[in-house]
Amino acid sequence: MCIDCGCAVPARTSTATPQRAGTITAVNLLQDLLARNDAMAAHNRDHFNEHGVLVVNVMSSPGAGKTALLEATIVALRDRLRIAVIEGDLETDNDAARIRAHGVPAIQITTGTACHLDAALVHQALDELPLAGLDLLFIENVGNLVCPAGFDLGQHRNVTLLSTTEGDDKPAKYPVIFRASDLVVLSKADLLDVMDDFNPLRALAAVRALGCDIPLVHTAVRRAPSIGAWLAWLESEVEALRCRLDRGSRAGARPPSAGTRAVPFTPAAG
Amino acid sequence: MGNYLHELSICSALLDQVTALAALRGADAVNRVTIEVGPLCGVDPALLCAAFAVLRTGSCAAQADLSIDTMDVRVRCNTCDATSAALPNRLACPLCGSFRTRILQGDELRLRRVELSMPPAPMAALACAPSPMP
Repeated sequence: MCIDCGCAVPARTSTATPQRAGTITAVNLLQDLLARNDAMAAHNRDHFNEHGVLVVNVMSSPGAGKTALLEATIVALRDRLRIAVIEGDLETDNDAARIRAHGVPAIQITTGTACHLDAALVHQALDELPLAGLDLLFIENVGNLVCPAGFDLGQHRNVTLLSTTEGDDKPAKYPVIFRASDLVVLSKADLLDVMDDFNPLRALAAVRALGCDIPLVHTAVRRAPSIGAWLAWLESEVEALRCRLDRGSRAGARPPSAGTRAVPFTPAAG
Repeated sequence: MGNYLHELSICSALLDQVTALAALRGADAVNRVTIEVGPLCGVDPALLCAAFAVLRTGSCAAQADLSIDTMDVRVRCNTCDATSAALPNRLACPLCGSFRTRILQGDELRLRRVELSMPPAPMAALACAPSPMP
């Protein structure tokens, strides 16, 4: 908020007003610290839109089942959609190898000591990944509920997994990442009958307390597999992107960008 | 970018912006940097300060102070249109209970102000400006 008049100052504006005071010059700015990352993310998003590829950034704490969910998704959708995955991990390409075993392209980004992916790392990965002919690209972010939330990668949608082996109060503890999400996936839902202290209603209430009107779907990929609601959401998003891009090209306009720090095109289907 | 704590990457982006501005203005040094960090931007002010103390070394901001304005969170309710103070994990409308709210303030992560130490002004400029104190 502007300290002078109390107005809400729109982000991404920059006004430089030098005030000379002796040999000290004060320059007032309102400049996003992540402006460079955001510009690279917008560039990535242009690539994705140009090829009509829906890009979903998948985030969670380590071990919530991101790779297992993507494997099950590939098996279920590979006859209908052409899928690829960008894998972010601190070390090893184990996850990319698991994805490739299902016959879809997977590019591993090994971040070394970095706790999150950023738009430049994703852009680098795109050098190795032809987007032509793809319908759906997953970016599996580094397992971490803190850092990935702040960095727009150029994705269209953010999905955060909350597994039933974690606390149902995770959304209250990590508000930034859940608030940036377009969908919450309650993973390992097949364990709900043995995870007595995890209450899905409490998890949903914690998401709603963040002012998030976003859907929450249950998934299970091991015992009693069930990922129907997740697949339906994905397919509706692929279709919705196509409609937006068709409308945009007919109107001769580029679709607006979405991202962790931007308003998505349209509210996610509930 | 690419450091273990994201505060390091963000601080490095901050110093890039600040040192570029100092170079653009022909400043000798940066005295003070003021940034706004809302509780909902996901950045820890203390870690950012610690990162700043390390990363400024060797730059024209080596002696600069970092001041951080931590912002309060405010939301507007889409249902009853009320504007209220909120907590980072309690963003529903405190008046009507609706979770259809939007953030008015509290997710900022931006550079607000930079104080630069300028070299002595050239004689031509002095002719039409008050002389600085010696």
